[in-house]
Amino acid sequence: MGYPSVERRRVLAAAALGREAAAPGPGPEGGDPLHAVTGEILDVSPHLIAIETPDGRQERLVIAPWATAWHGGDVAPADLPVHATVLMRALRDGKVVERIWADTVRLTGTIVSVEGRKDVTVELDCGPHRGHRTIVIPYRATGRLRVRHPQFEPGFLFDAIGIRKDGATLALLPATSQPAYPARAVPPPPPSYAGAQSRISGTVTWSDVFDAQERGAAYPMVERSDAGCPDAGVSCAALPYLAIGSLLQVQNVCANRSAVVPIVACGCVAGRFCDRCVECGTSPRGRIAELSPASYVELGGDLVNGCFNAQIGLG
Amino acid sequence: MTRVLASQVPVLIVLLVLGTVAKISVVRSGREPGALARLGPAVLMPGRLQRPSLLVCAAGELVLAVGLLVSAHPLFRWGTVAFFALSTYVLLELRRRRPDAGCGCFGEVSSAPVGLRSIGRTVVLTGMALMAVWAGAPGWMAFAHPAWGFTLAGVAVLAALSPEIDELVDRARHRAPCEQRRGPQEGVSLARLKSSGPWRAHEADLASAEPYDSWRELCWRFFAFQNHERDDVVFAVYLAGRRPAVRVAVVSAESLPEYTTVSA
Repeated sequence: MGYPSVERRRVLAAAALGREAAAPGPGPEGGDPLHAVTGEILDVSPHLIAIETPDGRQERLVIAPWATAWHGGDVAPADLPVHATVLMRALRDGKVVERIWADTVRLTGTIVSVEGRKDVTVELDCGPHRGHRTIVIPYRATGRLRVRHPQFEPGFLFDAIGIRKDGATLALLPATSQPAYPARAVPPPPPSYAGAQSRISGTVTWSDVFDAQERGAAYPMVERSDAGCPDAGVSCAALPYLAIGSLLQVQNVCANRSAVVPIVACGCVAGRFCDRCVECGTSPRGRIAELSPASYVELGGDLVNGCFNAQIGLG
Repeated sequence: MTRVLASQVPVLIVLLVLGTVAKISVVRSGREPGALARLGPAVLMPGRLQRPSLLVCAAGELVLAVGLLVSAHPLFRWGTVAFFALSTYVLLELRRRRPDAGCGCFGEVSSAPVGLRSIGRTVVLTGMALMAVWAGAPGWMAFAHPAWGFTLAGVAVLAALSPEIDELVDRARHRAPCEQRRGPQEGVSLARLKSSGPWRAHEADLASAEPYDSWRELCWRFFAFQNHERDDVVFAVYLAGRRPAVRVAVVSAESLPEYTTVSA
């Protein structure tokens, strides 16, 4: 039999345990819902942006007067290059754009090799499902990245935000302070036994390896045999085991928004980061989920900040 | 004879007070809907009534405990009988409708799914409450002149029927909760499933003895099979214990869940 759809697992689990099967979607709090719109720029002016969405439709959106854009640095929306791939945070049913990220990528993984003296070329191991990735750190960004990645050698973790430019992937901003341990030596979760925990706090990040408009999360604590992922089941937050297909309720503590997102992948790289998010206050240690860019933006996160303080519960 | 009848009154009073304290502490701990743990008969209530219903239950238990202690009025005696009889019914209903929920009798310690032990315990407590009806003396008399042998026998029976004791032993040994522990191998759970009653009841209908999908969520491992009508038969096996709870549901291919009777 083929690999069953994840919705089927939810229905079956709900039936066996007599629960109501929940559905993914945004939570009630937070006011006007945010929409993530993805596409390729066809034309852009100070007040309007025309894009082609991944499914081939053309859309014209209004750029709000207070809107800002990011393309390797803060730019005016009208200065974005045509044919750039953008992810936009939009209000009013996805018609009014207030934040644009162009060609933004997230480079998360274990350092495999470091080469070069001025512009540094780094090969990253992004986990068994995502393969290897070669990135370039331009000379002007090396200082900024190296100061947050003091162990710049193979076997240590790397996490940066950058852009795609002329076919190359450039790392520009550090997305976190590098954990001080090698990727294979993740500290164990704190030995807390407070009974069944109701909510788990930590940091939620994003990753660019999801499909363009996919809403979902990668979750570190899945059984290795189920997910076919030999590196899964590692986390320094005390996370419960869930399955691909389970629903996760993610709450952005900073923006007070919540959403129910399905777990669509194994977050084996995210589980190796025992870092904190300092977006609003200091979160407890540990990445509890890695969201797709669309889900992350709809929860009020900013791609350039790289994380938000979050709580999760079972959806 | 009266001493024998009265011997269980202290046990009832202590248990009722413990139940009150545990329920109030659950409410105070700020458990919210959508939480990871699904607890007690409160899950049968709509979301906004869950907290009040736990508090009402806790208040009822406290009133009964105080009533048993200071008076021999039949109102409190029969009230206790009714309370435990009703609890038995509620637990049976909880087991039928929400087999993943714990009984919540002693707050979050009672988070294991309701089994025959929890239900047996409320039956025994109903019996003890019935004995107390004819005891004739207020509870403080029983505390003052305890019939040690009978009281301890009652405590021993209740302890044997309490899944919470196992949980407390685990906590004392600092073991991670079940949903955070690495579970047994898939093959081990499958073997446990195949030695269970629900498996024998459904085995003949299955098209294949090997599951087409298996996954773990929290403390349950699910196995999905197809039967001869191409409906899905899904078994849920609890991951803790050698003879774990097993739930089963048959879901038609149009994905409308159809409930079958549950047995463990």
